[in-house]
Amino acid sequence: MIDFDLPFLLAIAKFALVFIPLCLIPICIFMERKGASLMQDRYGPNRANIPLLGGIRLFGFVQNLPDGIKLFTKENFIPRGAHTFWYLLAPMIPLAVALLTPSVIPWFGPMVVEGSRGLATVSGQILDADSGVLVLFALSGLSIYGVVLGAWASNSKYALLGGMRASAQMISYEVSMGLSAAGIFLIVGSFSLTQIVEWQAAHTWGIVVQPVGFVLFLTSLFAETGRAPFDMAEGESEIVAGYFVEYSAIRFGLFYMGEYAHIAIAGALLSTLFLGGYQIPFMDTEAVRANLGFVSGAIVAAVGLSCLGIAYMVRRWARIYSRMQTTDAVDRKREYNILNGAFSVIGLGLLAVAAALMVLVHPAKGGLGAADIWPLWVNLGTAAVQVGTLVVKILAICWIFVWVRWTLPRFRYDQVMALGWKIMLNIALVNLLVTAVVAKLVKG
Amino acid sequence: MARTVPRPEMTLAEKAYVPEIVKGLKVTMGHFLRGLFTPETLPVQSYPETPSVIPRNYRAKHRLMKRPDGEPRCVACMMCSTACPANCITIQAGESADDRIEKKPVKFEIDLLVCVFCGLCAEACPVDAIRMDTRIVALAADSREKFKVGLKDLMSWEPKDYPDNDTQSQKAPGGLLNAEAKKQWGIS
Ligand code: SF4
Ligand code: SF4
Repeated sequence: MIDFDLPFLLAIAKFALVFIPLCLIPICIFMERKGASLMQDRYGPNRANIPLLGGIRLFGFVQNLPDGIKLFTKENFIPRGAHTFWYLLAPMIPLAVALLTPSVIPWFGPMVVEGSRGLATVSGQILDADSGVLVLFALSGLSIYGVVLGAWASNSKYALLGGMRASAQMISYEVSMGLSAAGIFLIVGSFSLTQIVEWQAAHTWGIVVQPVGFVLFLTSLFAETGRAPFDMAEGESEIVAGYFVEYSAIRFGLFYMGEYAHIAIAGALLSTLFLGGYQIPFMDTEAVRANLGFVSGAIVAAVGLSCLGIAYMVRRWARIYSRMQTTDAVDRKREYNILNGAFSVIGLGLLAVAAALMVLVHPAKGGLGAADIWPLWVNLGTAAVQVGTLVVKILAICWIFVWVRWTLPRFRYDQVMALGWKIMLNIALVNLLVTAVVAKLVKG
Repeated sequence: MARTVPRPEMTLAEKAYVPEIVKGLKVTMGHFLRGLFTPETLPVQSYPETPSVIPRNYRAKHRLMKRPDGEPRCVACMMCSTACPANCITIQAGESADDRIEKKPVKFEIDLLVCVFCGLCAEACPVDAIRMDTRIVALAADSREKFKVGLKDLMSWEPKDYPDNDTQSQKAPGGLLNAEAKKQWGIS
């Protein structure tokens, strides 16, 4: 009979974490569209609204909704001459990979809980394998199959060209990606992502000990996710849209979502290897547990203050807007009132919650059974704080992806290859060599 | 003789990519922050919520000028339809009721879908009967037929929508100079 004790239930509950990258997709898309538009000095999407909720547009966030509805209801077109089976299979691969990879990312620090068979450690990874990072590299390398397969199966020379370019680029940059991350494995002495994060908590962030590795890894991630300036798989001017040119409706949408999920995963990987993963800066897991009330209060207060900031911006914009002569003044006024009210109330509420947390929550180690361990609610609260920290880091890195995309022009194909093989690979090798020598000297 | 334009030499810092990339990132971030915190400074107009300013001399939809009694000023001379490079003006002449004037249009049709808005018709007209200063630029209809505008449509403008110093428009019925013009013409 299966024993439904606490560690087992927690292991099951951890599966919910798989959906975090999926939930980040709409946020990423919103950031991308708004970032792109503001960097190009325009407003960006702001027409879609929810009439039932007073016509709120949430700064264009609502645009995701009609986009999704459109993608789901458009005609699913299969071009003549396409290999139907592969054609239909290809768009599923990137998203499937995006659903699988979070299982090896450590989302929170390992917690010790008391089960029916004594104390048990619950890891922050769903799949706590020593080879975690290899699984991650393997999986994220797999998503290129979706691109190549889709390109090949859609029986279009433009798609095929895009797929070929993408695969060549992806293979080239996989090499320098692995090599640039190898430095951190050398220093930590482990492939296990949880141990890498714990090492960073005990010593210092990976970016400090491996700055060159960080830059190389970030650049390789741009290439790996097929984002500008390495979006060889696309290319409006020369190969129409690239590998997904023959795809329409939600099959195109799957590629699109896969791209953003891939970015989210890349962000998780980058922050895990180089930016301390789920750790709050300068606080290791134990410190968070001991000061849970203060830490969570500070975080909630920060969120509340940003809500108040947003409310202030809404009021300011409403004032400016009311001076313009517009035909939609009534609708906008109503919307801005709703947004202002909602964000003010939420912000103040969160500040109150933060104060309550700081005053009321003082966790203490309980003598649970055999040993002195933290009670379950402290563990869970810490896990929530750490998942939130990692998500914030992921979003920050997603923002860097967006930022770089709208800054740099696309490289020419031969430049991409030259950069990958002649420059990045060499720097990565030298970096690895130096790291190995230094690590040997320091560790003895 | 061919002139050689030397390519600018890149400095070491430029060749190293990274400093230049950082510069570029700074530029885009500046634009982003400006848009985020002062969206009103963006050179953007929310069309159609904020009205766009179209100058009077913009070649927009046509109109036919009116005499003080509301009749079309056009004398059906066919100059405009002859000048029209798109051949989109169809005029049918008829006899004018006023015996000082020979002809008047009984049908005057412009196919706005065919029109290239070149303005040659307005240039060609000897009596300033056709103008393109309505500032109507958003032309929309649900069938091709509706883009063929006739006499009624072309003459359905009001003098109050035109500036006071536009004397020709103000002489039409309802205009500031209408009474005066009627006296001149001897129309009651
Ligand atoms: S604007 Fe040009 S094309 Fe249009 S009706 Fe006049 S002459 Fe013809
Ligand atoms: S040129 Fe002027 S007067 Fe002659 S037909 Fe055209 S609009 Fe009428």
